[in-house]
Amino acid sequence: MRAASLVVLVAIVLPLVLGQFWAYQLGLYALYAAAAVGLGLCWGQAGFLPLGQALFFGLAAYLSGLTFIAFANVPIVAVLLIPLFALVSALLAYVIGLLVFRRPGESGAYFSMIALALSLLGFQIATSWNSVTGGFNGLKGIPGLPGLDDISDVYYVSATALLVVLALAGWLFNAPIGVLWRALAQNERRLQLFGFDTNQLKSVAFSVSGLMAGVGGAIYAPQQGIVTPQVVGFGLSADLVIWAAVGGRGSLLGPVIGTLLVGSLTSQLRDSVPFWEVLMAVFFIVIVLVFPRGVAGLAEPLFRTIEGRRHNKPSVAAPGDPAARPPAKLALHDVSVRIGEVTILDQLSVDFDQAGIFCVIGPNGAGKTSMFNAVSGELAAASGRIAFGGSDVIGLPPNRVGGLGVARKLQIPSVFPDLTISDNLAIALWSSRATKLQLLNPRLRRWKSPMLDELQSRYAFLATGARKAAELSHGEQQILELAMALLTEPRVLLLDEPCAGLSPEETAAVMDLVRWAAKRLGGAIIIIEHDMSLVKELAEIVYVLHNGALLAKGSVVAIQADPKVRAVYVGGEK
Amino acid sequence: MDPLIVTQAINLLYAVSTLAVLALGLAVIFGLLGVLNIAHGEFIMIGAYCAYLIQSWNLPYLVAVTLTLAICGLLGWLVEWIIIRPLYRRPFDTLVATWGLSLLLRKGAEAMFGLGYRSVAIPIPGRVALLGTEYPIYRLVLIALSLAVVGGLVIWYGKSRTGSRIRAMVSNPELAQAQGISVRRLAAGTFIVGTCLAGLGGVMVAPLAPVQPFMGLDYVLRAFFALIVGGLGSASGLLSGSAVIGGFDSVISAATSATNGYFAVLVLAILFLWLRPRGIVARS
Amino acid sequence: MITQKQGPTRRTLLGAAAAGAALGTLPGLIRPAAAAGEFKIGLFIALSGPASLFGPTQKACAELAAEEINKNGGILGRQIKLIPTDAGGPPAESTKSAIRLMLEENVDVFVGSHDSATREALVATIKGKVPYIYTPVYEGSECAFNTYVIADTPEQQIRPSLTWMMKERNAKGIYLIGDDYVWPRKCNEQAKQYIAENGGKVVAEEYVPFGAPNKFEEIVTRIKSAKPDAVLITLVGADNVNFNRTFAGFGLDKDIARLSLLLEENTLLGIGPESSGNLFSSMSYFANAPSDAAKKFKADYVAKFGDKAPQLGLIGADCYGGIYCAKALVTKAGGTDAKKCMAASEGITFPTAAGTVAMRGRHVDKTMFLATCKGTEFDIIKTFADVKSGDECKA
Repeated sequence: MRAASLVVLVAIVLPLVLGQFWAYQLGLYALYAAAAVGLGLCWGQAGFLPLGQALFFGLAAYLSGLTFIAFANVPIVAVLLIPLFALVSALLAYVIGLLVFRRPGESGAYFSMIALALSLLGFQIATSWNSVTGGFNGLKGIPGLPGLDDISDVYYVSATALLVVLALAGWLFNAPIGVLWRALAQNERRLQLFGFDTNQLKSVAFSVSGLMAGVGGAIYAPQQGIVTPQVVGFGLSADLVIWAAVGGRGSLLGPVIGTLLVGSLTSQLRDSVPFWEVLMAVFFIVIVLVFPRGVAGLAEPLFRTIEGRRHNKPSVAAPGDPAARPPAKLALHDVSVRIGEVTILDQLSVDFDQAGIFCVIGPNGAGKTSMFNAVSGELAAASGRIAFGGSDVIGLPPNRVGGLGVARKLQIPSVFPDLTISDNLAIALWSSRATKLQLLNPRLRRWKSPMLDELQSRYAFLATGARKAAELSHGEQQILELAMALLTEPRVLLLDEPCAGLSPEETAAVMDLVRWAAKRLGGAIIIIEHDMSLVKELAEIVYVLHNGALLAKGSVVAIQADPKVRAVYVGGEK
Repeated sequence: MDPLIVTQAINLLYAVSTLAVLALGLAVIFGLLGVLNIAHGEFIMIGAYCAYLIQSWNLPYLVAVTLTLAICGLLGWLVEWIIIRPLYRRPFDTLVATWGLSLLLRKGAEAMFGLGYRSVAIPIPGRVALLGTEYPIYRLVLIALSLAVVGGLVIWYGKSRTGSRIRAMVSNPELAQAQGISVRRLAAGTFIVGTCLAGLGGVMVAPLAPVQPFMGLDYVLRAFFALIVGGLGSASGLLSGSAVIGGFDSVISAATSATNGYFAVLVLAILFLWLRPRGIVARS
Repeated sequence: MITQKQGPTRRTLLGAAAAGAALGTLPGLIRPAAAAGEFKIGLFIALSGPASLFGPTQKACAELAAEEINKNGGILGRQIKLIPTDAGGPPAESTKSAIRLMLEENVDVFVGSHDSATREALVATIKGKVPYIYTPVYEGSECAFNTYVIADTPEQQIRPSLTWMMKERNAKGIYLIGDDYVWPRKCNEQAKQYIAENGGKVVAEEYVPFGAPNKFEEIVTRIKSAKPDAVLITLVGADNVNFNRTFAGFGLDKDIARLSLLLEENTLLGIGPESSGNLFSSMSYFANAPSDAAKKFKADYVAKFGDKAPQLGLIGADCYGGIYCAKALVTKAGGTDAKKCMAASEGITFPTAAGTVAMRGRHVDKTMFLATCKGTEFDIIKTFADVKSGDECKA
């Protein structure tokens, strides 16, 4: 809160210190900064780069301009409609996001290119549609905001708008949705497996950034009195990216610093300093290479001293067990998966009991992890059925399968490395319990559940909430991921080599945890394992896979004696 | 046959083949290394200015090729070492950094040649009678050359040892390194090949384009769209993308107007990016 | 504890140093109040962006005018101080600069040589508080309060030259091609009138998207098939160069004449000698214009700036006239009061690079030159004296 008050104070005092012209200039750049904050939200938090951010700024600007002209006699109407223009931009961004993000794949560069192409398209439309937009010369004669006489009055309007945008951004950064965005950028797959619709999350981020840009654009029109196509096109889009990068895209104030500092300094010094553009070019190459966190990253220690110590707030009890979901039976019927010419799963039929600890073994390439991936919806099945709790889950996307109560621990420990341990665990808690609207409530970050208490008493390090997950040792990360899977109180738990890379003590601890979880959850725990000693200890039933099909099923003793199994797979003792 | 249709058909072929050769360097850099090199257009510009210089020194036009390869090669090596290599895993940062680079290169050209337009005389002027119409000889030569360059590179990539090493590096860098392939040097070499191809493209189109420091920007966009529509990492991708982007632009411009052609390119690019982000020829 | 590759200390120091440096430059940016007795002219020219190739010429010509005037006592006894300001970026940047110049520098007059979008934005910002003189080529109809236009109008550029071409070259079928924005469209509107007056016909009217990477093979092929007698070109910049090179490359220059309306020395250089056959340009100034005034202007220019001076051309030389216009206006009005300037503007005469002109209706009538291209030089073949602007403002 202290930092926030300081920012507001600076905003109020600045024009008095710097004079009228600077106030006007900052008034303009504050609007650009609003768009830059939105860009920073997408890029620095959610991990994708909208290269056409100016499209939303300019769209709102044109709408605003047209409305102010239409209501020149009753300007108050246009003023009241300003939020509407921003909402139109937000809606457009949301629709674009939904359409684009639902396509899986390397959405990074492709999304950026689409955004860029849309911005170019917008520029062309604005230039060509003379009758509406005024074409290249622009939409002129836009009346100003009513009641503002002094040149510098516009500053206060812009500054207020920027502060509102910053407040929104700050709230979202701290809310669960902000944590989810950052998690998405770090490990999208893991987040999907927890049941979160990452495409929708990205669309929401994009929509919010469109809203912020729209706020800037809507005020730009009456402030400038004219809207030209440059406000929609590539030039401004590129500038916004540069300003966000230089200022520090990951931080809240970074894009603002970048816009105000770089943007306004450029227009001041461009005329007087020779080779200014060369300096700027070298400057941002250096920033990208050496200070990727931007100017804000440099100033971070300064901010921390201002902020002071964070007081620990009391925790909040999470709502009760997720929808009282009972354990469910998982069964695969004739599931076949092919990639190109290679058959990964060959009419695989496996019937797991509803409760108990089961191990899946088989030589490399037998299809064990692929079976898990097919259940999760990450691998498209060519044919067959996957029954879970009475419904067929084949063809569902991973987040839907996760949402039904299938939890997975991946082969390589997969947590959210740059998030704190408490955020990691919180994500697991939100996974099956938080409604979409609740994700906007910062209280959720302090959720606790009885199971979390039990886990934290077993493993003390899970209680050191402020540490980043990346600081944990390999073994601790395995346990963290396992804990997260358990926290979702799943109906079936799929573990992929949970003891890989663990010391003997850690292995024993995990086995304990697995047994405890089996009793506590009451459902099935299916473990892919290579180590026969572990299998012997844990498994009630063992399933042997070979060449994508079920080779044998039975108790440990039975399959160890089975000649078919011995022929293809000789289990090794650790 | 109606000479108008014949000429527009050759225009179409010209549009597609020059787009392919100008996007080739980017196909190598973006398609194989995954690097978003926004400065690609500036390397084309360097090639064009080399052509201008060679002509002003009254040397044969082909010498421009040597000069371009030398300059783009050296620059490419420097750029890969200083800017690209530290940023391989950060594609958006590469974008920002190469944007800064493109500004620098443009300012460099401005410092050396000024902002005014330079003209490069067509090395093979004149027209030839063809299929009932007349067509500029140099453009026909370019069509042939473009296809030869693209074809030559594709064949080399497919058949040579270095080509197979590059393919190994692209599909699994760790494994390639383990096999004894120096991934770092190979990546640098691949980048340099990309910049040199861009320069070569610049030498080829210099007589037909206004040569000025900003000229590169025109080519970058079309090249990126052609690659993304066609699909990264394969020659058929490059050619199909060039065919679609260059082709639609040419046909619609010929049939209706240039504005519609440009709109068509943008809308097409968006549709492809949205519906078939892997491109026409998706790499499996 | 968190470990970083570089200790926080180094980063903090660097950050503090950078912040300190930035803050340190701030006081220097806030310029002191005007020295008494200076007449400040805010000069909007293209110092960045695609049009910046004209910037050096614009600045040089303005400086020449200012120096000459200052030698003769300045304006109303005050020495001119030119403040060159960038107008090559987005209009919002130019308006910002205008506000700064009005608030902090208290400029007396604005002189602008830039595109129309920027002009509209500046007019809206200046709101007539300061006299604003607009100098280059434009589409006509600017009658904002306290705004004075010495730019070439479509009527001046097109009527005499197109009429001559249609009569002397017997060109009846005219193909119109331009960039898609207001200036070419306005020009073509007027052109169609003159074509009809002279018994010709418009073969086709085509536009290419402005600001897009255009190529012209398809268009040139269309023109070839349409077989016009002449082409009226309102393309600008790189589009103008590209079109003309493609046109000649396809061999159309032999039979079809071209009249380009924004073809000055730089563009001609880009077009090149092999592509400039049968190509005409119509402007109020060329570097080798035959009038005595133009020759003297050129001599003075070379004397001041030497042989390596920026290339002379209409965009640039217009600034010379703009500064002199400011002097004539303010001198007759006895000051920069808006109403007095408006009243005084009618009938003022002042020198431009090509010769003396008179202002009527806040526009000027001028001598127009029609040139053909010989290699990369212009060859003036016709002079049209005292061409009316056609855009006189009513009061």
